[in-house]
Amino acid sequence: MRKGVAALETRKSGRGHAFSSPIFPKKMYAFVIPALAMFLVFWIFPIFQMFFYSVTNFDGVNYHYSFVGLKNFMQLLKEGTMTNAISNTLIYTLLVVVGTNVIGLALAMALNMKLVGKSFFRTSAFLPTLFSSIVVGFIWSYVYMPDSGMIASIMNFFGLDGSNFNILGDMHSALYGIAIVDIWKSFGTTMIIYLAGLQTVDESLIEAGRIDGCSEWQLICRIKLPLISSTVTINVILSVIAGLKAFDYAFIMTNGGPGKATNTLMFTIYKIAFTDQMMGKASALSVVSFFVIIIITIGMLVFMNKREVEL
Amino acid sequence: MVKSNKFLKRFPLYIILILLCLIIISPLLIVLSSSLRMPGNMKSPLVLFSQFTLESYIQAFNKMNFPVEFLNSLMTTGGSVLVIVLISTMAAYPISRIKNRLSRGLYYFFIAGLIIPSQMVIVPVAQTFGALHIPNTRFTPMIMFITCSLPFSTFLYAGFMKSVPVEIEESAYLDGAGLWTRFHKIVFPLLKPATVSAVITQGLWIWNDYFFPMVFISKAEQYSLPVGMIQFLGDRENPAQWNVLFASCVLCALPLIVLFAVLQKQFINGIAAGAVKG
Repeated sequence: MRKGVAALETRKSGRGHAFSSPIFPKKMYAFVIPALAMFLVFWIFPIFQMFFYSVTNFDGVNYHYSFVGLKNFMQLLKEGTMTNAISNTLIYTLLVVVGTNVIGLALAMALNMKLVGKSFFRTSAFLPTLFSSIVVGFIWSYVYMPDSGMIASIMNFFGLDGSNFNILGDMHSALYGIAIVDIWKSFGTTMIIYLAGLQTVDESLIEAGRIDGCSEWQLICRIKLPLISSTVTINVILSVIAGLKAFDYAFIMTNGGPGKATNTLMFTIYKIAFTDQMMGKASALSVVSFFVIIIITIGMLVFMNKREVEL
Repeated sequence: MVKSNKFLKRFPLYIILILLCLIIISPLLIVLSSSLRMPGNMKSPLVLFSQFTLESYIQAFNKMNFPVEFLNSLMTTGGSVLVIVLISTMAAYPISRIKNRLSRGLYYFFIAGLIIPSQMVIVPVAQTFGALHIPNTRFTPMIMFITCSLPFSTFLYAGFMKSVPVEIEESAYLDGAGLWTRFHKIVFPLLKPATVSAVITQGLWIWNDYFFPMVFISKAEQYSLPVGMIQFLGDRENPAQWNVLFASCVLCALPLIVLFAVLQKQFINGIAAGAVKG
């Protein structure tokens, strides 16, 4: 009891959370053990193993694999697999980041006003986020289906020739096709986060702007956006992370095709590992992805932090 | 007069919103309408709700073995979320209470896990499972669900724990409460908004995830709902199967839609809180 009071006094005298605080002793770190153990065994250790496999010719079954140096990397580079997968992933990420954030923000701005049927609009925008991506993949396979799919039927209805419509069958449009699906599924979450951000904006600032004669557009650009810049940062970071992980719709809808048009990094890793049974090569591409992701994340964090301060 | 003026001014906005909503939900409407037709009837899909029969649902229900898959999904999602809440609150407790370099290090160490995609490490993860002789049961994917969700949940709880005043714990300490008592009697109940957020955001992706079950499960009776859907991928080539496919899509999504209808506010607040507080 007395010890406790003494400890409280040292805390209050400015030494803060002293190392040997009896209220928060170091043995508290025991609480971290279950989470840390799982994290190390099933997440961190495999990452190290991935680096090791990347310089071997391991096939997943035979454990008598040998060291092959940088052969896997050279092969990925020579086949063009690496550059193709990286550029597909980056284009896809850019499309998803811009798409979800622009639509999400615009919709959140609109729904932040006093509108009739606000909750109906919000619910229908949020609905797609509830679906599993496998279900979304099925639904959009039908929407995009040539001849008798939804878009083709609508085109036929308006007298256009729907049989020529085949967005997923065209090398130049397939990647955009699956990016649209991803945007459709995920902008609802982005919108919800923007709405929460907009609700923290002080109404009196908007009112003051209005009295000073700002137009709606100026109110948005000069007052609302700067005030929710931290929400913008969060949303952009979240969508970049999600975009770099792109796998689902390449796997479900296009199988990486036509040709290599929708081979994203994650899908290519999966295909090399489980279809070609070349675990060494798949790990080499994982190592490449690891660095791509790290570089982009760090670059983005530095850029965003700077920007947020400026605004 | 003023009111109708305002409405007129906003009229274009309403038109845009209604159009946008139509674009968003039109695929869902067609799926729902087609799933209520007889199997094989995909003629003029744009004529909505022209037929009403549950025949496609009955076929889908039997084909996907709905009760078993539903139960598997329920058990793995529930179990994973329970463990996640328990061990990530525990991990966040010392990290946010003891302020030193070790805590900061652990905090960033966990967060760094957020950016690693699961497909990237799946090869060595599968090898690790083999080396540890972990059998492939319906519960095996749970290990990865829990692991993958640790970065976000720990980050979320550590953020929320800052708003739990230290003074409450100090007075409990003076009353002789031990660490564990303080943790589960005082701190944990005060973290309820974070727990709602963790349960909803993590439950949502775990329920919908097919990747880990696909890698770790091979027996049909162990499938969860999303991984059961993968078995139908080939049916897309057969136009006669679309009605049944759509019915199984609806069945697969139905549990979450019902839950969302009941807990709409918690869903929206939970997702927003997860991003804003963190």
